[in-house]
Amino acid sequence: MRKDLVFGMAGSGGDGIVSAGESLLNAAAAEGYHGMMTKSFGSQIRGGESSCRVRISTEHLLNPGGDLDVAVALNWEDFLKFGAELPVSGSTVVIYEAATKVEPENIPLLGVTPLQVIAVPISEMAKATAGTERAKNTVVLGLIAGWFGIGREAVLAGFRKKLAKKGEDVLAANERAFNEGIKFAEEHPLKAPMTIALSKGAVSGKLMTDGNDMCAAAAIFAGCQFFSGYPITPSTEIMQFFGEHVWKYGGAMLQAEDEIAGIGAAIGASFAGKKAMTATSGPGLSLKTEMMGLASIAELPLVIVDVQRGGPSTGMPTKPEQSDLFAAAFSAHGDVVRPILAPTCVADTFRITVEAFNLAEEFQTPVIILSDQEISQRKETLDPIDTSQFKIVNRLRASATDLQDYNRFKITESGISPISIPGMLGGTYLASGIEHNEDGSPTASGDVHQRMNEKRIRKFEPLHNRRDLFSIEGNPTAPLALVAWGSIAGVCSEAVSIAREEGLNVKLLVPYLVYPIAEGVYREFFASVQRGLVVEQSHLGQFYRLLRMYVDLPKGVESMARSGANPFRPSEIVVVLHRLLAELQHSQAGKLQPQE
Amino acid sequence: MSETTTPTATPEYVFLPKDYKSDLKPIWCPGCGDFSVVQAIYRALAAIGRAPHETAFISGIGCSSRIPGYTTAYGFNSVHGRSLPIAQGIKLANPDLLVLAAGGDGDGFSIGGGHVPHLVRRNMDITYIVMDNQIYGLTKGQLSPTSPKGRMTCTSKYGSLEEPVNPLQYVLGYGANFVAQGSAADLIGMTAIIEEAIRFPGFAFVNIQSPCVTYGEESQQIKGLKAITEPLAAIGHDSSDRMKAMEIAQYYGQKFHTGVLYRNPNPPPTYESQVKERQAALSQGALPKEQILDLFIKR
Ligand SMILES: Cc1ncc(C[n+]2csc(CCOP(=O)(O)OP(=O)(O)O)c2C)c(N)n1
Ligand code: SF4
Ligand SMILES: [Mg+2]
Repeated sequence: MRKDLVFGMAGSGGDGIVSAGESLLNAAAAEGYHGMMTKSFGSQIRGGESSCRVRISTEHLLNPGGDLDVAVALNWEDFLKFGAELPVSGSTVVIYEAATKVEPENIPLLGVTPLQVIAVPISEMAKATAGTERAKNTVVLGLIAGWFGIGREAVLAGFRKKLAKKGEDVLAANERAFNEGIKFAEEHPLKAPMTIALSKGAVSGKLMTDGNDMCAAAAIFAGCQFFSGYPITPSTEIMQFFGEHVWKYGGAMLQAEDEIAGIGAAIGASFAGKKAMTATSGPGLSLKTEMMGLASIAELPLVIVDVQRGGPSTGMPTKPEQSDLFAAAFSAHGDVVRPILAPTCVADTFRITVEAFNLAEEFQTPVIILSDQEISQRKETLDPIDTSQFKIVNRLRASATDLQDYNRFKITESGISPISIPGMLGGTYLASGIEHNEDGSPTASGDVHQRMNEKRIRKFEPLHNRRDLFSIEGNPTAPLALVAWGSIAGVCSEAVSIAREEGLNVKLLVPYLVYPIAEGVYREFFASVQRGLVVEQSHLGQFYRLLRMYVDLPKGVESMARSGANPFRPSEIVVVLHRLLAELQHSQAGKLQPQE
Repeated sequence: MSETTTPTATPEYVFLPKDYKSDLKPIWCPGCGDFSVVQAIYRALAAIGRAPHETAFISGIGCSSRIPGYTTAYGFNSVHGRSLPIAQGIKLANPDLLVLAAGGDGDGFSIGGGHVPHLVRRNMDITYIVMDNQIYGLTKGQLSPTSPKGRMTCTSKYGSLEEPVNPLQYVLGYGANFVAQGSAADLIGMTAIIEEAIRFPGFAFVNIQSPCVTYGEESQQIKGLKAITEPLAAIGHDSSDRMKAMEIAQYYGQKFHTGVLYRNPNPPPTYESQVKERQAALSQGALPKEQILDLFIKR
């Protein structure tokens, strides 16, 4: 019995492989399993290759898994296009369409001998039972139910809901195709059975969603009443969610003419007193930079979501990468600090988004949420979130006393100046991108500029003590360490669990506050560390380099970095940890040599 | 919240133009046309009578874009070319505010030119005043999108090769419901036009010939403009006639028509009024925001 199974399926666009993945995930969730699904597509709008990876487990999941336990190829050409996204190993069961006419011993997977390879006449079975090849994906679901024990009842229940409108005939045809898959599996048992263990039972109130919807819902919960942006993959669903729901909460969504107008309108709404958000991906972030600087100098709260995809330029719109970190931290000219928060999974996207609004309001600043294609578009099953646990922060409004002789940009001890909003009597001021005096009037004085820069940066000091925006797993005094942010943190977390089970003394630091660098937190974390890895999906190793700007990393800490769309597997990180441990032991053995 | 379209005078207090004038001393060159534009704005706002703190005045960057700072309204002197998106965010966030936007010809028709048609489409109740001097004043005299063809400037040493933008025709062509032109030389006429534009329930565009005395051509100074001026009232123009307005607008740059070129006699609903309706319709029976995650419950 397995606790955990990772399925990877690929076909061409019309094969409905992603919808099969969704049915599988829904069925697993209905049966009380934890599940996670990521989708990956080629760049064609319709009909290109598409794939999904569905991980199902009896335990809470942190990442979409490494090597596949089960690979399903409806045709080999499409399957192979996903390369490292669908890695097959010696412990994978490979199921493929017999109509591809490839012999099981000749499947085009170089350098691996899968555990078992099974050719199934999938389209033939679909045609024979449902009268159409389009039922191929239903046959696949039947095979999965038969061989791996997931969804025997729940898939059919799902069909009944999903196909209700299409009539009894369609439903019956799908049932036949599904049962045919089960029958095939039963008649051809696996050499080594791979059924999943029983789940702990269905929990009521479980949620299922993806990172983009979660982000938008969290924003509305945090009090956001205005969204404006411009469509761009993979962030557009945030805008869509606002467009459907924000009106219900007295807010508005504006589809702007470009990203500059998108952030501009959000800045305007914030100036007028509303919590506001814009969302984009790499190319849009590049366009928004001048306006980000404006929000910083005008000290207006604003949340900017950047759902990272492969860059530079158009790059790889449908693939994840962590390469916008430099742009998020340093784009927009001038001496500016702009906090960056990063969720690591769909569940913590809620908390991180609420936190982003809180920081924006508290510090009167733009805050960037750096998500990525994987988190934003992967669906997860989640435990219910108790929203009453969350504190909501609102900007420090000018009081009646402040308004008697109002200075919008008053230099205070905290660096935070009470803010007025249009409509408040006595609060009028000039917001501006030009440097200004405390009363908002323009200035070209070097002295004022110095003091204003100092104020605008000093106000972020409390951020250096926000230890709740970091998590540490494993033994706090371990000599071996991993550091990872964003979606890669979940992979590292699993790697640390495996490594610890294998006896390694290792720990993991996950920053949710990615910038500014809280030097103290890292200094403390690295105090015990002799060997370590900063793991990230950026060819340059942007986070590793950013850390080195602010922190003296121990000599044995290396960068483990690669370009986007090349996922990390927990197992390969564990292998490197073993190597680091061996090096460490070797060097210590050297130290113990008697000195002459 | 009250109805938003036409700000009305409050009976308790009669505002005077000086109530809208701030203490900040303008940095404009003596004789710059922008001085009289700001005077006209003080007078128009006083005539309308909305309190300064209920007014938001947004600009981009340029000599002309300094203007919000010289008023007592909530001002926003933003970045080059981007006054309109910011103004729209403000209007949607608080439709009760009187929202004005202003800037130069470069600000509005070069770098910010892409925003104008979209504000026209959305028809928010925002008044946009362009202080058109056919030159880049702040950056010291470069070619502007409204500079006539052949104009020699420091960036067009041998004369420009491109045709100018025609702001009146562009904005009419985008489908605006209110388009007017005024002259910095005619304070009273300009005040009346600006007042009418602000009172118009929807987007209103006012192009103002506001000479740059430092870098402008002779022909664009007050005297030169006077020579080609033709008040629309004098030629009996019917401002409800859109096609006629388009025809007159062709002469931008050759003749100088002052007054209201086009005013839609049946103004369509504003964007923000439709937003309000949508908010009212959809808020009924919505989940409280504390329960918004219930949308994701698997049933
Ligand atoms: C992004 C950006 N590009 C260029 C500039 C430089 N710049 C400031 S104002 C201006 C043009 C001003 O001309 P106009 O808008 O006609 O205003 P005027 O000064 O004539 O009133 C330019 C090019 C800038 N501030 N920002
Ligand atoms: S440079 Fe021209 S536009 Fe600028 S203030 Fe002087 S006269 Fe006015
Ligand atoms: Mg100009």
